Amino acid sequence: MGNISIKLFGKTLRNPVFNASGTLGYGVEIEPLWSVETMGAYVTKGLSIRPHHGNPTPRVWEERHGMINSIGLQNVGVDRFFDTYLPFFRKKRLPIIVNFFGFTEDEYVACAEKIKPDRLIVALEMNLSCPNIKAGGISFGKEPSMVFKIVKKVKGVTKIPLFAKLTPEVKNIVDIAKAACDAGADGLTLINTMPAAAFDAKKKSIPLKGGLSGPVLKPISLRAVHECSKAVSVPIIGVGGIMDAMDAVSFFMAGARAVQIGTATFIDPYAIPKIIKGISDYLDANGIKKIDDIVRTAHGK
Amino acid sequence: MDDIEGKILSNSSIAPGYHLLRIRLSRSMGTVRPGQFIMVKIPDGEVFLRRPFSIYDYQQGILTVMYKIVGKGTEQLSKASKGTSVLTLGPLGRWFTVDRRNIPVVIAGGIGFAGIYSLIKKLQGKASIFFGCSSKEEIPLLRDAVRFDPLIATLDGSYGFKGNVVQLFKNHLKGLKGKNVEIFTCGPVNMVKSIKGLIVPHKIPCQVLLEERMACGMGLCFGCVMKTTDAEEPYKRVCKEGPVFNLWEISL
Repeated sequence: MGNISIKLFGKTLRNPVFNASGTLGYGVEIEPLWSVETMGAYVTKGLSIRPHHGNPTPRVWEERHGMINSIGLQNVGVDRFFDTYLPFFRKKRLPIIVNFFGFTEDEYVACAEKIKPDRLIVALEMNLSCPNIKAGGISFGKEPSMVFKIVKKVKGVTKIPLFAKLTPEVKNIVDIAKAACDAGADGLTLINTMPAAAFDAKKKSIPLKGGLSGPVLKPISLRAVHECSKAVSVPIIGVGGIMDAMDAVSFFMAGARAVQIGTATFIDPYAIPKIIKGISDYLDANGIKKIDDIVRTAHGK
Repeated sequence: MDDIEGKILSNSSIAPGYHLLRIRLSRSMGTVRPGQFIMVKIPDGEVFLRRPFSIYDYQQGILTVMYKIVGKGTEQLSKASKGTSVLTLGPLGRWFTVDRRNIPVVIAGGIGFAGIYSLIKKLQGKASIFFGCSSKEEIPLLRDAVRFDPLIATLDGSYGFKGNVVQLFKNHLKGLKGKNVEIFTCGPVNMVKSIKGLIVPHKIPCQVLLEERMACGMGLCFGCVMKTTDAEEPYKRVCKEGPVFNLWEISL
């Protein structure tokens, strides 16, 4: 099997495949099927300074080539996550990326401050798709100036490398990417779900508004990764509609250093281990020694 | 629990809008307990997320599911013919627990029967069974439980007691006074709510099997939650902490 390990912020990860935040529970649930340390790193469910209850049902809706979810960021809170689940990842020696969010700048800062540097933590990943309550509910990730301000504040309180996870629902994602990097983001996660609505024509109603994910998102995400990786030099994690190893390889070529898998796991619970094996097979079959040799190879083409 | 391939042995209508699906699995699912469910999908079909179904029966490598056609997923499934390949992920979820000291009473509404039949079978006639549905057209659902003498209510009165199953059960509640009764139920939310209203003064223990729209079926996505009385974390996953809940711990 080819070497598919990667280095991220000085840490060696087994492979460049992670779960997308919130699509692999707290990491323990998948264990009956495959060991969570099969992945290069586990990305936590989005954590907040206080526990968050989330939304009433319906929370999920299937579309033709994707799904809409409105979980509402249900989570046990940053404290309980570290008390209850960190020992599990420590025992498994599985590096983690801690995804977090807030509804005010103070909540982001407080949450980032709570998370102390730890050998197990590769990076933080800040979810910028949350509504900013103090700015009338507009998402933090919509305007370059807002992104710059919040990323700068968070960087001021943590020494852990920081990924900014961007929303695709913006005028120009490259401007947002630049603003995040100018403010000190050490990496970008591209992209979050796309705001969407389910519609029930029989009942003339909208049963669910939420984030669209799944294969329908892949071309949007690939474009974001391609454009942003030309504009900034920080590592990029590609996420959005990756269903198989060739999708993942496409993201590397477009400029991603690593990928995250979300909806594919709901379609096939073995999607992640299959993708990891498929990437390795691809490198072997093409005589490629390491992932970095294909990263950004689509640039200029 | 695992994702297991299977082939459809039969998939026939048993009543208007209801099907009985039998699948031969390529390998064992392990131990299946009453109340557990599976996530089923037809690979390469138009529907890409699996759909949750109670395990109606499982023996000698043959899995049986009784289902009602309610949407796109079940509609597609109802058209699948003998020999079609399917994927079944399971067995999933928390099951009914039986305390032998209690007298079991089963109350099922409509397709809710499919979720509770495996428990009825396990109790081998020890349970009093109350079944309610709209009309006599749905009586064939009870095919395998007829031997346990269920009491039947139909809303239109075309078979058995005229009215809903909770009214029927209410008529028998007096006779259960002073006995250690435990209720097991599955059916429409309104039925469960009215059972709750009826038995509140009697403080009867009750386990309820719930339904919810699901994406992953194994606790990964938090898409299928039920509000509970737990103040710290009210929303519990129907697929993981359920689908069987203590009635007194959920907020209906």
